[in-house]
Amino acid sequence: MAVTNEQYVIEAVSLTKIFADWWGRSRVVAVNNVDLKVRNNQVFGLLGPNGSGKTTMLKMLLGLLHPTKGRAFILGGDSKDTRITSQIGFLPEESYLYPYLNARETLDFYGRLFGLNSKVRKARIDVLLDMVGLSGMASRPIGTFSKGMARRIGLAQALINDPKLLILDEPTSGLDPIGTRQIKDLIVELARRGKTVLLSSHLLADAEEVCDRVAILYGGIVQKEGKIEELLEQKDKTQITSTVLSERTLEQIRRIVEKDGGEIEIKPPMQKLESYFIDIVNQAQKAKKYTSGAVNTFDASDAQRAAAMSNVLDKLVAAKVDAQKLEKVEAPAVVETEKTGADLNVINQLAQGSEIQMPEPVEPVKKPENIHVQDEIKKNILDELTKSEENKNE
Amino acid sequence: MSRVWAVAKNSFVSAMRMKTAIVFMLLLIILLPIMSLTTTGDGTIKGRIQSFITYGLGLTSLLLSILTIVVSCHTLSAEIKHKQIYTVVTKPVRRYQLILGKVLGIAVMDIILLAVFATIIYALSVQMPKFAKTTPEELAELNAEFFTARASLKMTVDQQALDERVQQVFNNLKNTGQIDENKSKQQILKELKDAARYSMFSAEPGGMVIWEFHNVKPFDSNEMLFIRLKFNATQIPPDNLLYGVWYVGDYRQVQFSHDKAKSPIYAVPRKDVAKTVREFQVPADAVADDGYLAVVFFNEPANNSTLIFSEDEGLEVLYKAGSFTANYIRAVIVVFSRLVFFAVLGVSLTTWLGFPVAILFCFVVFFTGVVNGFVVTSFDYVGESLSILYSFTIKPLLWLLPKFDENYNINKYIIDAKLINAAFLSFALVSLGIKSVILLLAGFIIFAKRELARVIV
Repeated sequence: MAVTNEQYVIEAVSLTKIFADWWGRSRVVAVNNVDLKVRNNQVFGLLGPNGSGKTTMLKMLLGLLHPTKGRAFILGGDSKDTRITSQIGFLPEESYLYPYLNARETLDFYGRLFGLNSKVRKARIDVLLDMVGLSGMASRPIGTFSKGMARRIGLAQALINDPKLLILDEPTSGLDPIGTRQIKDLIVELARRGKTVLLSSHLLADAEEVCDRVAILYGGIVQKEGKIEELLEQKDKTQITSTVLSERTLEQIRRIVEKDGGEIEIKPPMQKLESYFIDIVNQAQKAKKYTSGAVNTFDASDAQRAAAMSNVLDKLVAAKVDAQKLEKVEAPAVVETEKTGADLNVINQLAQGSEIQMPEPVEPVKKPENIHVQDEIKKNILDELTKSEENKNE
Repeated sequence: MSRVWAVAKNSFVSAMRMKTAIVFMLLLIILLPIMSLTTTGDGTIKGRIQSFITYGLGLTSLLLSILTIVVSCHTLSAEIKHKQIYTVVTKPVRRYQLILGKVLGIAVMDIILLAVFATIIYALSVQMPKFAKTTPEELAELNAEFFTARASLKMTVDQQALDERVQQVFNNLKNTGQIDENKSKQQILKELKDAARYSMFSAEPGGMVIWEFHNVKPFDSNEMLFIRLKFNATQIPPDNLLYGVWYVGDYRQVQFSHDKAKSPIYAVPRKDVAKTVREFQVPADAVADDGYLAVVFFNEPANNSTLIFSEDEGLEVLYKAGSFTANYIRAVIVVFSRLVFFAVLGVSLTTWLGFPVAILFCFVVFFTGVVNGFVVTSFDYVGESLSILYSFTIKPLLWLLPKFDENYNINKYIIDAKLINAAFLSFALVSLGIKSVILLLAGFIIFAKRELARVIV
């Protein structure tokens, strides 16, 4: 049974996580009754400021934390099921790699954990190292890598099983703009290939570019959720972009708009700093300037880049054709469990079963009402003081 | 299984690239050859080799135990602390496979290190006689008493038969009305039993004592049996010497008067000093085909004295039952089983404890294992007053502790050239194995249930 578009790849029902201290007191509600549904082939962004519960949410989905209340289904089953975890790629908030292994050994280790045979492992590791621009550093211990370089290995690690679902926690944190751009291209390309991506981020520009749908978390509660175009569309404005126009044409347009009763502002569009930066670095790379860091051969135009990324992914998947364990790698996407679709009644009962005690809301500090009275008192004192001075003068 | 191996390989690589492993290896590589040159023992070549093996094997076992404890307490706890565990448990690996892999990796490391250092010790000790000026007599003594594996036999009294006999005597006395009315039945039975034991192991002038052994399996019937004896006498003659004849062989042939003796019975007339351990040899073909052997002592009437052998130390039969190499390998296997136990202990503890607490606990277990007899006796003493509480709480915990002292001290076997028999070996392996499995299961359950992510809000 394969995941169809109608099915949810991730389904969380009133997921709640409360952290208690050792005595069970002074609890912190990290995630509060979150319902989350991610459809197949969606790029879903969990957005929110620091400490809003994004990472806690992901950890609960992956079974690293046990929810206090509620349940999470991932690929229609439980995150403990190895048939399900074999189809997930996960990049944690920091890369958390073994400092004593080198890049190739690291990827080999993760490949073995997926039970890939040595041929597939080797082919994929080569492709992935090339993709993240670390082919030249394959035999250097990870401990000597910069944060961004380690991040790239972390990403490669998440892709080694050609996952159906990719869970990325702050995927672009610590990466340089090229790495960021690459991850975004990768996400777009993966989505085009029918994969599902769940990412958390507080870098809104990045999320805006790649996500189909976002949920904005604050205080462990989903404040707003929906399609990104719907959320961001400004219904009272129209944007027209064109090639450079003559003064006369502009004047004509202005007149038409004003006649229609609208307002208009005309200025040349700004290039994004990101694309400007990529241009500069590309020029330097073409001049073959020395670097000990990551090297990416990178094409400037979107089309070229998309083609290149597509090529990489083709190679990655191609490695599987040789695989003897074809069936095993291509395990059915959805494993039937007792309750595949969340039975809302049961879940609601579950949810209501344990009454969650919310921390008592802190009473807002009341503005002292007599504050101006005090001012008056002070004024009085000053008056009296000045009076006394006047008296002296008299 | 391939996943378990992947984890095992990773933890092995981690241990080898950790500097602690290198330090321990260097220490051994430097210390062992130095020790082979500097140990003196009691001055004889046998003494030197004995003390070299004691210190060498002891040091290797100590250092590898410490290394195993450090690595096993570190490997999982560090992964949880540094969060590498996030990317591992979210892969299609079951959590028990992770624990198994960790233990397996450490076990592989131990196998390699132990094999290397045990071979070095073996090679050095075998070569030592060649470097020292060794006379042929010394060499023969070495081969007979050190580079061998001797089984030791002591007669065990058949308690049931003894009790039955005592009861019979008691009944006879009762029927004939010779019971002392002032004594309780228990008291009389005890006195009768002591008297029976005394008579079993003492020979009046012209009388004899018989020791019987079963399942004697000499390594080679051309070898010798070593018979160690020690007795006391009621009357010591002026020249201190007491005469007697020892018969060694299948005594049943005499009892049931077979026409032709199948196996030889050796008669050895001797004169010995009382209260001293003496030893003599007879060819090992005295043992019957079914492994039966009897040693009979006939007390010369001319001694005019009763000779008394103690039940425990009166007579011991030693014989070569295996080769030194095989015995040495068995000793190394016992050491290895201990290392595996500590690997399991360390990894299991770190499923719920941090590194410092786990390592402290492991060292406590290690050192109580070394002085286990002392600890258990002292707890037994304390526990008498709280018997029920004690036998349900501390006692099972004490049972979980491994025992490396006294009878379980593997070094003693090698030094005395005593055979580590299959029973001892399997007991050591099975008891540690059961303890390890209990620890492993506890580790599996705890690790499967626990939250691996830290609380970060």
